[in-house]
Amino acid sequence: MGTISFRAAQGANKRKTFFLLAAMGALTWLVLVSIFNYLGTSSTAIVPFAVGITLISVWGSYYGSDKLVLTMTGAREIQEQDNPKLFGLIQEVIIASGLPMPKVAIVEDSAPNAFATGRNPDHALIAFTTGILEAMDRDQLQGVIAHEMAHVGNRDTLVSAVAATTAGAIALISDMLMRIMWFGGGRRDRDSNSNPLMLVASLVVLILAPIAAMMLKSAISRKRESLADATAVAFTRNPAGLRSALEVLAADSTVVQQKSTAVAHIWIESPLDASSVSKMFASHPPIQERIATLRAMESLN
Amino acid sequence: MKSTLVIGGVLLLLIIFFIAQYNRLIKLNIAVSEAFAQIEVQLKRRSDLIPNLVETVKGYAKHEQSTFEAVVTARAKATTASTVADTAAADGLLTQALRGLLAVAEAYPDLKASTNFLSLQEELSTTENKVAFARQFYNDNVRLLNTAVKTIPTNFFAGFAKVEEREFYEVEDAAIRNAPNVSF
Repeated sequence: MGTISFRAAQGANKRKTFFLLAAMGALTWLVLVSIFNYLGTSSTAIVPFAVGITLISVWGSYYGSDKLVLTMTGAREIQEQDNPKLFGLIQEVIIASGLPMPKVAIVEDSAPNAFATGRNPDHALIAFTTGILEAMDRDQLQGVIAHEMAHVGNRDTLVSAVAATTAGAIALISDMLMRIMWFGGGRRDRDSNSNPLMLVASLVVLILAPIAAMMLKSAISRKRESLADATAVAFTRNPAGLRSALEVLAADSTVVQQKSTAVAHIWIESPLDASSVSKMFASHPPIQERIATLRAMESLN
Repeated sequence: MKSTLVIGGVLLLLIIFFIAQYNRLIKLNIAVSEAFAQIEVQLKRRSDLIPNLVETVKGYAKHEQSTFEAVVTARAKATTASTVADTAAADGLLTQALRGLLAVAEAYPDLKASTNFLSLQEELSTTENKVAFARQFYNDNVRLLNTAVKTIPTNFFAGFAKVEEREFYEVEDAAIRNAPNVSF
């Protein structure tokens, strides 16, 4: 692998996120066309219904993300006097990034991990497990903090909320359509002159759309992780710190106790067992790939 | 009637464009000033740590008078500096003097083991990092401003907004300069 500048890496990951979000939009549009095609315009009332439900559930959690995630992960907020060294490190990254100071929380767990959440940089929260604070030295911890603050600065809670809303709405729509068809609903305007081939294609789209949406959502999450690594280097100009931190995480076999998939994407290292999730649906890029990219950035310095 | 509408629309767009360029320059300029203020805040913090640190080291290593003096004079110089270049030069000197002080501490195991010294050392290293990041953030902002002042279309508005290129914060760091010469 050659050399990679963090600026180029940031640009590439931002572009890829844009294309993936555009693909999400295209998929939504395809689903809507398929519904029109298959069920006729009379059944489209379920669309605003499904979108509404997901909007309320996803955006409710997005808005209260800093408080909600605290209860879901069992994190406990701490103040400067509880851990002056950690706060010193966070303040370093704050100065480097020009972002406002986030709230800081600790998760009592021996597995080394960390996450960031909050609806915007002013309501950000970053959390660390007790394990990561013990396992890492100054430079490594600084790299981890920079990665988490990069998520805050790149507004990844917002990006993942958009992805989750679209994926959720598509899943709900196709689920409801399946039920409608199951209970003998189906096409109302049978006398229309649609091509039967188109109808089959529409049905296939509706069946496959939720899977495609899930895959897109995971791909977006992976791109945001790579972007956060690159942005972290932009903050600290020290790829070696984050790289050796990731090596510590890779060497460590323990995982965070709660394996809820609902909050899996927010951790710096995926808490889900790598073998149990196929690569297409993984929320994080393979850790060795991330280490290799950071190594390529190091060779620039 | 139609032509006056078109002309009015074009004028409106021009005014919006003008305001956007002007505001961008002003915002960049303010960001540079804020970033410089951040450097000063961190330098002040470091400067406040020094008397305590010197006293602690003195308690164990009385005979290192020249090292203490170097730190104290560098600190005095740093507190009087006001321009970017002066601040940067004084900052570089103080960084070097502090490095010398910590090197002295290496020779005194009792000092190195004292909890007071350890906590001061941690505070000093986090403050040194903060100073370094504040410099980096300032220079990044200067780079953005200077690019805007020199490139089209913002350069046309620089004179009107009274925004000029700003000075980079460059520290003469002998330790970094000499680094390649040491490895032979």
